[in-house]
Amino acid sequence: MTSDTSRWLRLMLIAFVTNGLGPFGLKVLAANHFGEYEPEYLIFWYIGGLVFAAAAFAFGKRYLSRSELLFGSAMGFCSLGGQFFTGEALTAGIPGYVAFPITTGGSLFLVALAGILLFKERVGPYGLAGLAVGILALVILSI
Amino acid sequence: MLDTVLALLSFSALGVLAKMADVKRARPSAINLLLYSSSLGLILLITFAQHGGMPASPLFVKAVALPFGACSAIAILALQSALRFGNISTTWLAINLSAAIPTVGSIIFYHEQLGTRKTCSLLLIVVALLLLWKDRKMSDMASENTNLSESRTQ
Repeated sequence: MTSDTSRWLRLMLIAFVTNGLGPFGLKVLAANHFGEYEPEYLIFWYIGGLVFAAAAFAFGKRYLSRSELLFGSAMGFCSLGGQFFTGEALTAGIPGYVAFPITTGGSLFLVALAGILLFKERVGPYGLAGLAVGILALVILSI
Repeated sequence: MLDTVLALLSFSALGVLAKMADVKRARPSAINLLLYSSSLGLILLITFAQHGGMPASPLFVKAVALPFGACSAIAILALQSALRFGNISTTWLAINLSAAIPTVGSIIFYHEQLGTRKTCSLLLIVVALLLLWKDRKMSDMASENTNLSESRTQ
């Protein structure tokens, strides 16, 4: 195994576990009958994220380049936009079994497509099979 | 339906922008900081516009939100750092497959029923992760072979 692969696997393991834990708080909230406070929860959820992000940033060089400002802010708007529009769709009466498979499965497909077509990434047959199985798994999970 | 499409485009753009930021050599810690600052700024703006101030919430809500929010920031930092060493297509899939964790957590901690659908989905997630690992291993072997043949030619 090359050092790049070993680093990628370690980072992905961290991302996999922590990204999975992130939304689990909503379940804790609902299970303790605090589900009505979801919007307030989201504010403090972002504050928690910002505190960690600021601490991690403080360890390195404390300047921001133009591309970091542009991409970081745009990603923030996309992150909140995705959650906001999913909420709006559900409020407008789109059933969860329609909205969630489209947003999760669809975004996986579009990002993979962009990776292959825009960034010329080479994905082998196992990777392509993994993408197909992964999209199917998430669509089934979100129905 | 327009909201669903906008949500889809927002989440997809997030993945594409993460890769573009990596191509432009943006630092993962800077991206993470700006992502959370802009999201928080926007959500506070929306909340203040809707409620005219910050609505009160019980301490329990804050105590749950803060560590889980920090977990999410760790995930973004790790994802952005992982892009230096891997494809966005497979990295994005791997991070999205983590949807299995809240499902497993609900089964373990809240004794939720594991139906046929969830079982199938969790098994498929394991299969997808194994396929991604195999893909990575194969691409490693291919690049090692290329390096070996190049060194023999020299």
